[in-house]
Amino acid sequence: MSSIFPAEDYSPIALILLLPLLGAFVNGIWGHRLGKPAVKLMALAAVGGSFLVCVATVVQLAFTGGEHEHHRLAWTAWEWMHTTGGLQRSSVPIDMRFSVDTLSGTMMLIVTGVGFLIHVYSTAYMAHDKSFARFFCYLNLFIFAMLVLILGDNLPVLFVGWEGVGLCSYLLIGFWYEHLPNAAAGKKAFIANRIGDFGLIVAMFLLVHYTGALDWVGMQSGAHSLMDTPADAFQIHIWPPGGGTYPDIAGLPLHVLNPAKPFTITAATAVGLMLLLGCTGKSAQIPLYVWLPDAMAGPTPVSALIHAATMVTAGVYLVCRMSFVFALSPFVMACIAVIGALTALLAASIALVQNDIKKILAYSTVSQLGFMFIGVGVGAFTAGFFHVITHAFFKACLFLCAGSVIHAMHARIHDGDAAQDIRNMGGLGKYMRITRWTFLVSTLAIIGCPGLSGFFSKDEILFRAYVNHPVNPFAQRLAAFHQDVWVWPTWLGPAIYFAGLIAAAMTAFYMVRCYILTFEGEFRGWTIGRPSMFKSNPDIDPHDPDAHHEDLKEPGRPPHESPHAMTYPLIILATFAAFAGLLNPAPLTKHLPIEHWLEPVFESTKDSIITRPDADHLTWSLALGGIAAFAIGTWLAYWMYMQSQGEPARRLAASQPALHRLLLDKWRVDELYDWAVISLVDALADTFAWFDEWVVDGLLAKVTSVVVAALGNILRVFQTGVVHGYAALMVVGMACLGWFFVAPHPATSMTESNGDYTLTAGPGIGYQYRWDADGNGTFDSDKFGDQTSVKLHLDAGASKTVQLEVKNAFGLTRSTKIVVKRPEPSASAQLVEVGQN
Amino acid sequence: MLLAFALSPFLILGIGALLLMLAEAFAAPSSRNRAGDNEESARGQALGATMVFLAAGAFAAGVWLYGIDDLEGASSLAPWLMIDRFTVFFEMLLCLGGALASLLAGGYLPEHNLNRGEFYALLLFSTLGAMILAAAGDLLTVFLGLETMSIGAYAMTAFRRTSSRSAEGGLKYFLLGSFAAAVMLYGFALLYGVTAHTDLAGIGASLAAGSAKSPFAILALALVLVGLVFKVSAVPFHMWTPDAYEGAPTPATTFMAIAVKSAAFAMMLRILLTSFGTGAWISWASGWPPVLAWISVLTMTVANLIAGRQDSVKRMLAYSSIAHAGYLLLGVVACSRSPQATASILFYLLAYTASTAGAFGALILCGRRGAEAVSYEDLSGIGRRHPGAALPFALFLLSLAGIPPTAGFFGKWFIFRSVIDGGFYVLAVIALLNSVVGAYYYLRVLVFMYMREPAAGAPVATPMRSGYVAAALLISAILVIALGITPGTTLDMAQAAGLTG
Repeated sequence: MSSIFPAEDYSPIALILLLPLLGAFVNGIWGHRLGKPAVKLMALAAVGGSFLVCVATVVQLAFTGGEHEHHRLAWTAWEWMHTTGGLQRSSVPIDMRFSVDTLSGTMMLIVTGVGFLIHVYSTAYMAHDKSFARFFCYLNLFIFAMLVLILGDNLPVLFVGWEGVGLCSYLLIGFWYEHLPNAAAGKKAFIANRIGDFGLIVAMFLLVHYTGALDWVGMQSGAHSLMDTPADAFQIHIWPPGGGTYPDIAGLPLHVLNPAKPFTITAATAVGLMLLLGCTGKSAQIPLYVWLPDAMAGPTPVSALIHAATMVTAGVYLVCRMSFVFALSPFVMACIAVIGALTALLAASIALVQNDIKKILAYSTVSQLGFMFIGVGVGAFTAGFFHVITHAFFKACLFLCAGSVIHAMHARIHDGDAAQDIRNMGGLGKYMRITRWTFLVSTLAIIGCPGLSGFFSKDEILFRAYVNHPVNPFAQRLAAFHQDVWVWPTWLGPAIYFAGLIAAAMTAFYMVRCYILTFEGEFRGWTIGRPSMFKSNPDIDPHDPDAHHEDLKEPGRPPHESPHAMTYPLIILATFAAFAGLLNPAPLTKHLPIEHWLEPVFESTKDSIITRPDADHLTWSLALGGIAAFAIGTWLAYWMYMQSQGEPARRLAASQPALHRLLLDKWRVDELYDWAVISLVDALADTFAWFDEWVVDGLLAKVTSVVVAALGNILRVFQTGVVHGYAALMVVGMACLGWFFVAPHPATSMTESNGDYTLTAGPGIGYQYRWDADGNGTFDSDKFGDQTSVKLHLDAGASKTVQLEVKNAFGLTRSTKIVVKRPEPSASAQLVEVGQN
Repeated sequence: MLLAFALSPFLILGIGALLLMLAEAFAAPSSRNRAGDNEESARGQALGATMVFLAAGAFAAGVWLYGIDDLEGASSLAPWLMIDRFTVFFEMLLCLGGALASLLAGGYLPEHNLNRGEFYALLLFSTLGAMILAAAGDLLTVFLGLETMSIGAYAMTAFRRTSSRSAEGGLKYFLLGSFAAAVMLYGFALLYGVTAHTDLAGIGASLAAGSAKSPFAILALALVLVGLVFKVSAVPFHMWTPDAYEGAPTPATTFMAIAVKSAAFAMMLRILLTSFGTGAWISWASGWPPVLAWISVLTMTVANLIAGRQDSVKRMLAYSSIAHAGYLLLGVVACSRSPQATASILFYLLAYTASTAGAFGALILCGRRGAEAVSYEDLSGIGRRHPGAALPFALFLLSLAGIPPTAGFFGKWFIFRSVIDGGFYVLAVIALLNSVVGAYYYLRVLVFMYMREPAAGAPVATPMRSGYVAAALLISAILVIALGITPGTTLDMAQAAGLTG
């Protein structure tokens, strides 16, 4: 195999990428002519084929290269562009190049594998949608963009995919764009992501400037120059900006702005923070998480694929990919971990009281992404990425189950919001057995039930948070420049661990609450939403056969289980959700396949991550904390909603109305952003609009256009159409030319060195020269000669008037005076253009 | 044999033109219609002429790929015909221009009842003259090529015999062209008198050596310059241009705007850089660069200002071609500092050829017999009614305005960059401001096409259908977009074609 497809030119990557692109192309262009079966076939074949090639690729990857060696299969599509970078300003090639290593190989298996299952599911879920082809076009395009993101061998290619998935996410959130809030949600997601993209772009600039490369290998080998450049070039001055000082201007005491010591950060920290901004946007972390819950406006399979399993984990993937940069800055690592912990807590607390099944899962996703950030933030890249894998299975399964539930509810309640409200559900387990059991398995997995996948991945993260801490590998060098070295505080690890425990307990509570309210007890939706159906929604045509107008007093048909195309993916995903933990059963055994598989990728960060010496003894005691969080959360939810039928919850909400309201309103972060950021931008936009309207359009544009028009009209007069006039003008032009060539044009240029000035006359056709170099007013010789330059010496501050006269071939003469003045402190030799008088 | 290969583009054009004339003369009388016009055979002639152009272009490309240095005997034609990369580049460029013009003619002439076969023979001979002009390394061949090219162009301008504008335009062009040719010939005579050479290199060597001191050499430069700038229609020697361009049938206008102008620039570069390319002649104080700089600034500014006030789109395009000559002249000025700047001129000419041919072609497509689209009003709302004609038009206008990612953008970009590299910052700023003014009248066409509806009762232009014109538009559009996205390879070619004199 390796002789047909060498590692450096591994062309099957083209197949992986192009199949989904082909699917998107065919379904996008000819979709509505092909008919649904053909669209379905095209979309499934594209992703399925891509998945098979992915499997083959990963198999080959596993059998190439040596043990513990970071090898990759790469394929260059074409040479894209060049830029200059690095401290030597060398040429940096940026190629359309893709590569697979163990990290991207794992990720692409998830994307195409889970993606394929969700495609299968969607064929049934979206079966009656009028934009069936458009949906699959976007979905295939998403898979393509996601694969570009994962397989890109350099940051710019990754960025192409990064933007591509953002675009697909936008298109799919606003898929039902006729409904205004959906379009608004799409816009919000896009804008929040743009803020993150800004960070990623700046990080690219910094990286190419310092490391002189943008591909993974080059950046990794050049990463040390972020900390280890000649002198202190690696330090970026934050205050004063750029490293200057503030002088007093016009009596204003600006010098107070000068700090006692300039505030600088290292280039590694700057790159890390900028990358982190990009990651918070894509992976929905504080402060840019607000778009993800709104993104649930899209079809549910989209929520499962894009907004749970794949795209939102791109941020975690990027942190893993760029781990060699992050490892250089413990401060950035701490930022990642703290942001992750805070996000996990905040999102979990919001999820406690939500009633929309998709909103609960959305906040759960944000919270779980927080866990992943904790993992990569404390340097446990494998643990963080392992959680990406397990989360992809159980969260995709949960969302698809939710979709199945909504599908069933929607058949009864023709109202999107009511069909997703868990207060209208209950007892669905009786009618939808497969959905219920798969949902239960996934729930147990996500809340960390011992033995299931979530237990292993989440506990590994929490364990690592407690025992790991990054150190700065260049601490000595920083100290040499008298820079404070940021040290990871000893309390930070345990604090993050306990924050994680609380978030885990809350996770257990809200997930079990969601399960009980949806599937246990009695169905509460027999009549809910239906009596006012026609009144509240005038869009529904009463004669539409799909609009059920059964007798509203009667309970009607029971909710039904979804078709096989939807349930089979659920079963497969639930199986993986249950058993994926065995890939890395950390507390049980030292034989950890995923850890071993990914080890070469994170090899370079090994030295900067320190593990406590007593870590091995803490394994089980720390795991007990996780088990306790699971047990407490689960028991509390079971007691509240199963045994007491939700009574304690209602009492609690009634006793703390303000807090309950605050949680229900998601801590009012959206309102805060509205008040603080959006109103500011609006005010700025109003100012610019005024300026544009009155100054640019009014003054500048009008005046210019009037002047140009007037000039044009004047010039038009000459275009009489009379040929004599034309010839006359040509003669005038010829005369001007002749005059120019006949008249002599004396011109000089001057060079200076330490007060020795050399004046050189400009050459002319047949010119002869005479000079007055001593400045006495008379020429040095009466005859014209070939002397084209004179030298003179001036003391500082002195000046002299030199005269030059030229005679040209026609015998005409003309003279010019040049005032040569030497300024007080003379600069080194430079060319000065001299004004003529 | 290799000599024949080196000359193959010339030979193909010449022989092809003769054959086409014979074919026209001996065409079967059955295909003649009542008016005596030879519809069918003339239609075939468009295709034939295009094939001849493409064959010549293909052979030129073959010469390029074979390598000039490997062509033994190619230098034996020097100084009469210089077979170097510069020449071969222009051979390809001129064949492209000729092919586009004959494709346009194949659609335009039958539609407007002008379909007489001699147009194509004139086109081919004129292009042959242009190629000789681009290759000429001797004053005699320069003049020979110039006249061969010009006489064809005069005849094509006046080709619409029944139209007084066409005849008037042709006559004006002929009168002033003869005047300019006479002036230039006088300059040539003086040069021969001063240097005793007619070959450009010999003149250059002699002028550099010392005969420069003669006042007649300076007068000769002034007179030759007048002739050169007349041919590129720079202000104030441009007055004939709008009249001739407007009166001529549109394919002839296209030919004049692209092929004649390209050849004139080839001649200008060759003469100025070979004969007047040293020492005091390129002095910024008293040589030809400041003169050309002034002319270029005048040309750009005057042409752009007047173009903005035109009601006729065709006349606007005529002024626009004058303005483009202004940008190109700036490139020539930059050549005085670094010969590498020729590459930017060659690139610009290619971009300009594709965009201008496309723009004229789209204008042809917008009108029919008796309802030719001439004014802005004629184009109102055509974007909605006939998107197939409007969309390419918009593309070519954007390219002419220099908006990325089109060929015109990189043409301007390279010219401006070579001007800045030469240190002429003020000129670059003036050119930049001018291209902003230029954008105004190009975009105005887009406004009319896409944002206006025709006034009630006004005659509405209905587009014609023609495979020939569509083919020309397709070729131009591909070039415009390809050069706009990947200018690198073409620029490398243009750099290889630079004059090393």
